[in-house]
Amino acid sequence: MDIKAKLKQVLIEELNLEDLTPEEIEDDAQLFGEGLGLDSLDAVELVVVIQKHFGVEIKDMEEGRPALQSIDSLAAFIEDKQQG
Amino acid sequence: MQKQSEDKQTAETGDWSSRSIGSNWQHQAFYLMIRLGGRRAAYLLLYVVVAYYVLFSRLARQRASHYLRRRFPETTGWLQLWHCYQLILSFGKVLVDRAVVGIMGPEALNVTLDAREELLKLRDEQRGMIMMSAHVGCWQVAMSALDFLQRPVNMLMRREDGDIDRHYYEHAGIDCPYRVIDPTGYLGGTLEMLGALKQGQIVCVMGDRLLGSDRSTVEVDLLGEKVSLPFSAYKIASATGAPVVVFLTRKDGPASYRLQLAQVIRVPELQGRNAETFRPYAAEFSAALDKFCQEYPYQFFNFFDMWLKQQPDNKPTIRSHDGYQGKTEAGSD
Repeated sequence: MDIKAKLKQVLIEELNLEDLTPEEIEDDAQLFGEGLGLDSLDAVELVVVIQKHFGVEIKDMEEGRPALQSIDSLAAFIEDKQQG
Repeated sequence: MQKQSEDKQTAETGDWSSRSIGSNWQHQAFYLMIRLGGRRAAYLLLYVVVAYYVLFSRLARQRASHYLRRRFPETTGWLQLWHCYQLILSFGKVLVDRAVVGIMGPEALNVTLDAREELLKLRDEQRGMIMMSAHVGCWQVAMSALDFLQRPVNMLMRREDGDIDRHYYEHAGIDCPYRVIDPTGYLGGTLEMLGALKQGQIVCVMGDRLLGSDRSTVEVDLLGEKVSLPFSAYKIASATGAPVVVFLTRKDGPASYRLQLAQVIRVPELQGRNAETFRPYAAEFSAALDKFCQEYPYQFFNFFDMWLKQQPDNKPTIRSHDGYQGKTEAGSD
């Protein structure tokens, strides 16, 4: 399973998005606000699950803000960290 | 204070605003008294001003009544007015003291810190610390007592337009001694808080005021009735392992404050965002605050109606928090 597919699966399971399927989540959809409609508390959960499932730590706002824009950006961030 | 017409309208609508009470020149009058005659001179003016507002401002009495009628439920008439006077006077003294620290320097007030050793131990856990306070005493004065921790301090706060109260560092003309995290910023400042805690820093929040979205609240008891408190801080504590250190300040003498470590809340790693999961931790906080209110009834300065309205079938109404989202300003700031 590639990173994007796994990410979508993790989001659905860990953030209780059971009314969505991985296919319904667009790669470039915004994670917060419009798009998936996640909020600030989901952001905390997301940071935790990214570390848990991908072994990648989002350390601060500078890293987190660009990474947490969409599935695309988050997958790229994870890939970059895993390779680095 | 607001003009009488605005006073009446606000009292009738029940709208709450964290904007400063008093016009700019009235604040300046107090600052002038401090410069000319020190703290006592400003207090003298305060006794008169508070008496005027308690007697003639419906808005002032209404704002104080939310708390007072829960703290003193049996009280009516003149005794009720007396409690109102005592509460607003205490609040006024805190505002004067805050200005005194800025104008005359921190040595003008004596701040005593309990549990210094315990705080050092918590710091040395290297998980950061969430210092959770409430609208009691004067947290700005207390902040000066945290220097010994030698960790950067981050403060989740936002100042509303129209707030003319000055913080002590503004009086002193120095840079803000702590980093401000705006709760209305990107993702409610949660990433900034996480980042600070991961670096072992201190994050200060108010436990009696909503920080993020109105989904993130849980109902607990305070003074015998239900209130809706935020649980975001406990979620962040769960994610980082940081202890939630409940510290409450109080004025314990004419020129002295005491910073009391009321409770250390440990939140284990918890999954999800179900409010029920975090209720026990919010209840620990509210119990500490309840105890404080019982012991120091005139030092809780939360001048908005935080208590949930009860429906005839005893079910609480859903309440919008938009009006005070993310504020630390309830007046005691």
